[in-house]
Amino acid sequence: MKRPTDVERQEWEDNGVLFLESAIVGEELTRLQALFDRSAAEAKEDWLAGIAKGTKPAAHFDIPNPLEKDDFFIDLIDHPSWYGYLMDFSDEDLILLGPQVRTLPVLPISYVGWHPDVPHTTPLHMKAQIYVEDVPANGGAFGYVPGSHKPDAGACPVVRPLDTMPGHKVYPGKAGDVVLFNSYGWHTSMVNTSINPRKSIILIYEKWSKDRVATDRYVGIADKCTTPDRRRLFSLDAR
Amino acid sequence: MIVDAHVHVFAKKTTEFPRTVSPQYPEDGEAPVELLLEQMESNGVDQAVLTQIGGPELEHHTYLQHCLKTYPNRFLGIGLIPKEKWHAPEDHMDRLAESGGIVGFRLFEVGGPIDPLVPMDVTTFSTYPIWKYAAEKDYVIWLYSCARDAHQIPFLVQAFPNVRVVFNHLMVCPGENAFAHDDKGRPRIQTPMPPLTRYSMLGLHEFPNVAVKLAGQYAFSQEDWPYNDLERWHKTLLGKFGAERLMWATDFPWILEDPGYGKLVKVIDALLPDLDSEQRDLIMGEAARRFLRFPETV
Repeated sequence: MKRPTDVERQEWEDNGVLFLESAIVGEELTRLQALFDRSAAEAKEDWLAGIAKGTKPAAHFDIPNPLEKDDFFIDLIDHPSWYGYLMDFSDEDLILLGPQVRTLPVLPISYVGWHPDVPHTTPLHMKAQIYVEDVPANGGAFGYVPGSHKPDAGACPVVRPLDTMPGHKVYPGKAGDVVLFNSYGWHTSMVNTSINPRKSIILIYEKWSKDRVATDRYVGIADKCTTPDRRRLFSLDAR
Repeated sequence: MIVDAHVHVFAKKTTEFPRTVSPQYPEDGEAPVELLLEQMESNGVDQAVLTQIGGPELEHHTYLQHCLKTYPNRFLGIGLIPKEKWHAPEDHMDRLAESGGIVGFRLFEVGGPIDPLVPMDVTTFSTYPIWKYAAEKDYVIWLYSCARDAHQIPFLVQAFPNVRVVFNHLMVCPGENAFAHDDKGRPRIQTPMPPLTRYSMLGLHEFPNVAVKLAGQYAFSQEDWPYNDLERWHKTLLGKFGAERLMWATDFPWILEDPGYGKLVKVIDALLPDLDSEQRDLIMGEAARRFLRFPETV
């Protein structure tokens, strides 16, 4: 399991974001891509029906309950390429809040705009965004304002257009690259004006706290979480 | 100056004023413009946008045109276009606009592919000729799109950056089978609030030609006036679009009995209590006056 170097830890503390190149490669990446496409194809009909009913968003397509669909998705949660980083940043006390196996259609606007996910009153909140296919800068790449995760950053401004956010950085990447970020910081999906939908997986984590633990959240995959580390990560046991 | 940016008026169905009928506006039903004016005057409202109801054909607009001519400078009008004319709407749009006061056209769909993952070519959308002609003639698009089409709208807005687009009713895009009527005859829309179509819509704040009406709260809220469960959504729209692109409206006459016209004049004060006076003036009329280019004199 990889752990952050001192330089990476300093970068995380200073900027709130870390880019991990080639976190998934080779056969494992090929398998992930195939699983992603197969799962998306299976879920697409329900998604389109939900769009027509107004019960599902058209601007992003999430595969429902991915952890129950294939063990490979479960193995991403504590993947050795980034799990050690998140454990380090959370003082070895990490829980999973949820996965988003997400396809982002081509659209002339961003579906979210710049935002922090949580206020500083919540425990440390972090995400890992895995690029399943190559994501060019104009393909819905991740955008972040380095340093905006700090408590003195102030309120996230509304900017028009999206790419005029002062100090922001865009993170294009190759398939298998991963962006780790502190979700106190201001981030967005840049506009996808490419010709291809973006495929990525967003894993949402938080430093353990009593209020965020839900022991029934992942009870459906409890038989796949037999080690103490996994039972803690998936909040299967109350403390 | 206060402007009610979305109301409906209709006369009883007669040979003078032909129109379609529905349970909401039966043959002998009426919501005359004089009743609207009475409500406006009692509540200090100066001008309004009359939105066509009772059919899309030219003759169905007779009462709307009568109101616009009878009370010049008081109203602007929004017309409808029959679906069979969407492929060549120019003559229909011009004839309505040339009659005076009709400045735009209402659409309930835009007619592109429902699958957001396929390439979007706006020239293949069934309403493309309407948008194209609106761009040429500076007509307003009055949009109350269904949910299935919401993701297609940004492509049209991008293609026609000079067409003024006004999203109806809190920018909600209702899903199929979401429309019903309550026991007071008011539209009732079953939809999650905030709407899930917001992910395709809110980013449109980047386009200065897009505005949103703050209206129809009664149809989406789970509460009685002042519909406090919609406060957060109002604040979201304010934060994104700013007061200069938000327009208050009542949706007269559906609200006459519940909550009453006078209460709806106060709904913005209740849902956006922190507005400064300039922001309030904008939402209550100045934004509509500027965006829709209301005549200066009443």
